[in-house]
Amino acid sequence: MSSTSESATTPPASTPPSDTMVRSKGKSRTGLYVVIAVVVVIIIILSAGYAAGWFKTSSSGTSGSCTPPAGQTLDGAGSTLVAPLMIAWSLAYTASTVDYASVGSGAGISDITQKTVDFGASDAPLNPSQRAAVPSPGVVTIPESAGAAVPIYNLPGLSSTLKFTGQILAAIYLGDITNWNNSALQAVNPGVVLPTASIIVVHRSDGSGTTFVWSSFLSDSNATWNHTLGHATTINWPVGVGSKGNSGVTTTVKSTVDAIGYVDINYALTNGVAFGAVQNPAGNFIEANVTNIESAIADSHPVFPSPTGDWFNFSVLNAPGTHDYPISTFTYVFVYTDVGTAYGSAYSQAKAQALIDFLLWIVSPTGQSYSAPLYYIPLSSAAVTFDDNTIKSVTYNGAAISSCVPT
Amino acid sequence: MTPGNPFPTPSPRRTRRVSKLGDRIFVGVVALATAAIIAIMLALIVVLLYGSRLAITTLGFSYLTGRIWNPEFNIYGILPAVEGTLVTSGIALLIAIPLGLGAAIFLTQHAPTWLRAPVGQLIELLAAIPSIIYGFWGLIVLVPLERNVIEPGLVKYLGWTGLFNATPIGLDVFTASLVLSVMAIPTITAVSRDALAAVPRAQKEAAIAIGATDWEVTRRAVLPYARSGIVAGAVLGLGRALGETMAVLLVIGNHTIIFTSLLAQGSTIASLIANDFFEAATPLEVPTLLEAGLVLLLIALAVNVAARLVLARFQAVGGGAAAE
Repeated sequence: MSSTSESATTPPASTPPSDTMVRSKGKSRTGLYVVIAVVVVIIIILSAGYAAGWFKTSSSGTSGSCTPPAGQTLDGAGSTLVAPLMIAWSLAYTASTVDYASVGSGAGISDITQKTVDFGASDAPLNPSQRAAVPSPGVVTIPESAGAAVPIYNLPGLSSTLKFTGQILAAIYLGDITNWNNSALQAVNPGVVLPTASIIVVHRSDGSGTTFVWSSFLSDSNATWNHTLGHATTINWPVGVGSKGNSGVTTTVKSTVDAIGYVDINYALTNGVAFGAVQNPAGNFIEANVTNIESAIADSHPVFPSPTGDWFNFSVLNAPGTHDYPISTFTYVFVYTDVGTAYGSAYSQAKAQALIDFLLWIVSPTGQSYSAPLYYIPLSSAAVTFDDNTIKSVTYNGAAISSCVPT
Repeated sequence: MTPGNPFPTPSPRRTRRVSKLGDRIFVGVVALATAAIIAIMLALIVVLLYGSRLAITTLGFSYLTGRIWNPEFNIYGILPAVEGTLVTSGIALLIAIPLGLGAAIFLTQHAPTWLRAPVGQLIELLAAIPSIIYGFWGLIVLVPLERNVIEPGLVKYLGWTGLFNATPIGLDVFTASLVLSVMAIPTITAVSRDALAAVPRAQKEAAIAIGATDWEVTRRAVLPYARSGIVAGAVLGLGRALGETMAVLLVIGNHTIIFTSLLAQGSTIASLIANDFFEAATPLEVPTLLEAGLVLLLIALAVNVAARLVLARFQAVGGGAAAE
């Protein structure tokens, strides 16, 4: 019964006369040729234009007495958080080609450990086991930009910005404070009508430099946290929902009423997510912005560890200034202390110089000017001085590397 | 379709010579393709074994029996992720098999003819939709629905079972299972529809002739005949559920811990690997994740073997004539 009706419907499908079929085929073939021709012409024009230097941003004549080595390609990998800034840098930097792979901080560290890249980037410094895994001659740690973690929340109908202390945030993430109308939370938010709802805690499910700074701050604020959970890029969270990436945490918090999460400041600002003010050591509740994070990093007068030393416990949290934001952090780049011995004879001196030039350029005023528009925090002058010395300490088979930084 | 043959038949002598050489080449090529598949499979296992050797030698069986996953303190127990994988895939199958098979039965046995082809094609289209899209759908549509409507109801009426007592958040094991079931349904329907459509009409007509009802025809004549195809569909659906990564990661809540409530946050082996791999911070973490991959591979293998055994037993009991 079914087969008869099916066969009855099939013939009309194959009715169009062969004549029109041929013609339409010919027509589409011509169209195809036209498209191919147009594409070829565009490619020729663009490549000619490229050869003529259309796409170079005027910096072809590097002023100054030196000339940077030409035709070098530098490979970097790591942090996804710093990727937008790295990409901006690599596009703006013309002396060498810089390829940055946004693969995650952990992968960036393992790439530099395995010497598959010229520099690795991470939001967190090397932990003791990562440091032990780095082969001779070891790497230097270069803080190349800064940022901050902010608490974001989804409480519709709340008129004012919520205030948090480190103690309260730790208690929420430990699962000790489970309700929004908790008395401790109410005490620092007088006059705010808090909902009688359970707090839905959101954290990162993947390893992250944001988790590193967040857990460092909670460790500093709460002894229990410090003893049981510590600070690391991944935490064995006692409560909460894990979401992948800053974007995942933001999406979950945005779509879940009564949720709280933490993301990097540049993510919160570019996405327009509401975030809370956090109490600093001076007792003020600070809503993070580029200015008060920059001042926090300057005011904390960081005593940098040795470039080749252990940075795991280095922090710029809880700066003393009255208007400093307390959850600030550096992000880092790692390069070998001696690129000649690290990578072997295949690594040319010209490439070594190109690497040093690029690193000096990103910490220079020109490089740092790309930070603020992307909501990254420019380095303090103390950090720039430290970085300059660190980068210039990198050697090539034992000899100092001359540098020529484009402006 | 056209009556005139556009290719004039060549002389028989030439045909034979070409076809002999051609056949040899053809057989060689397809044999090579088969060899390549086997080689890839073996290489996969070897790479996973080699990559995870450090974890296997360091942790031994404690890896398989460990109930805590905490890379920060170098504690690696895969049991929570195994639980998450088996529970989500199991619930997904429990939901997907009745729905998927039901749709296949309706489409092949009872649906009006004009409906069969379009709906069948729609289902095949659903089976081809990339899983990330199911994940988005789960996150945007299912999670709020779960959180505000379904889960409060489950807590209220089924909370006493212990399976549904937690704060309804929507991002949990149950939601992940539902997303997986939605992903498995089209696969199960598409494969079992083909199997059911292949049941000879004589088989059905014989049952109708002795006065069987629709239900009896389906149960006694159609389903036994299509059994191997239906099991194949279920195994394919299960395979999709076991290995699904992004859709699960988006909705399961990502907490690598042994759970007792279905409304708790969990993780599966695949979501654990996707979460931890790129930011693996300790030398032992990457090997442990590769070993997790090995465990997942073994689970998938075990499922396939089990399905084959079940099928073989059915065939032995139910009479070989019925199946294929």
